[in-house]
Amino acid sequence: MNPRDEELMERYIYQVIRHLPRDQRSEVGLELQELIGDMLEESDSMEEVLTKLGNPAEFAKKYQDTAHHLIGPEYYDTYLWFLKIVLICTLIPVLAVGVIDGVTEAAASSGSDAVGTGFRIVGYIFANVAGSCIISCMGAFGGVTAVFAVMERQKIKFDLRNEKKWSVNDLGDNFTSRKNIWTPEYLAPVPHKKAIISRGDTIVGIVFIVIFCVLLIFAPHFFSAIFRDNGVITTIPVFNLEHWNIILPVFAVNLVIGLADEVVRLVAGCYCRLVMISSIVTGILQMIISVIILKVFPFWNPDFAVEVKLHLSEQMKGAFKLFENWDGNMVSNGLLAFIFIITFLEIGTTVYKTIRYGTVSGSGDGMTSK
Amino acid sequence: MGEEKDLLSSLLLELRRGTLVLSVLSQMEEPKYGYALVQSLDEKGVSIDPNTLYPLLRRLEGQKLLESSWETGGSKPRKYYHRTEYGTQIYMNLKQQWKQLSYSMEQLLKEDEV
Repeated sequence: MNPRDEELMERYIYQVIRHLPRDQRSEVGLELQELIGDMLEESDSMEEVLTKLGNPAEFAKKYQDTAHHLIGPEYYDTYLWFLKIVLICTLIPVLAVGVIDGVTEAAASSGSDAVGTGFRIVGYIFANVAGSCIISCMGAFGGVTAVFAVMERQKIKFDLRNEKKWSVNDLGDNFTSRKNIWTPEYLAPVPHKKAIISRGDTIVGIVFIVIFCVLLIFAPHFFSAIFRDNGVITTIPVFNLEHWNIILPVFAVNLVIGLADEVVRLVAGCYCRLVMISSIVTGILQMIISVIILKVFPFWNPDFAVEVKLHLSEQMKGAFKLFENWDGNMVSNGLLAFIFIITFLEIGTTVYKTIRYGTVSGSGDGMTSK
Repeated sequence: MGEEKDLLSSLLLELRRGTLVLSVLSQMEEPKYGYALVQSLDEKGVSIDPNTLYPLLRRLEGQKLLESSWETGGSKPRKYYHRTEYGTQIYMNLKQQWKQLSYSMEQLLKEDEV
């Protein structure tokens, strides 16, 4: 083989193996070297050989037999619907926050010139809102897609496990029985009316979680006490915004876990073992994270009570007493107790409905192997 | 006319694809390297493109139907494939199924010849 042919061959092999998983590349490269060498002995030129082998990208495709999709047809509809809801729930609060911020910003800095103020508001909204809309929508899109992509992979694993189970039960030597043959036994019973989880049931949870999440990200300052003294607006944030950069991600993770649970419910479509397990795991995780956020992190604005008192003293004496006893620790405990009760109620309801109406042994129609 | 030709060739391709595994397994009792297999199949009237065969051999190896080993003694290293015991078992089974299938097909296709 002359150097020119060798160069051509190496180029061709590289074009094939660059599409393959790393661990297969060297082996396939050697195989192709052998093949091209053999073919060259019987033909006139390297060009002829490589032309016969065809487009290296097509060749590489034949070596790959893994799934080439992120979200399969089974979840696609639910995914689109879910994505729409999440995007709408993201976009509206982001816009609202932008408009409100724009108005307050302009009002705070403006004189009496109404036209100038108007322009400032519009300018602010365009400058800030457009950016945050794009960023938040990308984030929402990415988050939803990631959740569904994980579900898709998990489902594949689930199917494989079913397949294995099936071959053990089926002791025959006949190899065809090792395949995952569908039998009527695979039919999941039609769920009890009260066991069906409709899209409507999950939408409230989804909307609430997404809006809350967006507000926490884009407008944590909205959670504040606002005072107006002689035209000067003072806002005293409830949260500890100084440490917000560590609190927010954990908070967001907590909400996303909740969202993932809603997705599982949505896809399963009825109360079943999978929904029950997901609900229990989610509940426990959320309780742990809540404890971390509320007890470990400096979650509350330490100066909240003092500052509020400062402003209140001139206005209302009644509310003053309420904040006299304000204690971040106490509020955390109260909130935690509330979260625990809600979570246990949620888990309890799910477990009850699953055992009473659902299919404990099986999984929802979306997750059974077909 | 072109469309009809396309349809025909894609149907033919599908028909052939089903027989590939059986064709390859039938030749693998003795160790063979890839290109020798292409040639021996070609001589027997079953043509298969190397760019189909090589990935197929790897897949069959992944399914434990074939085993491979590199021979480094000759002028250049060669990868030899041969059937595993499991592969033989599967092959025998497939062969039997194929015979039944081809018999049934023959009966079907005879019907309009009378």
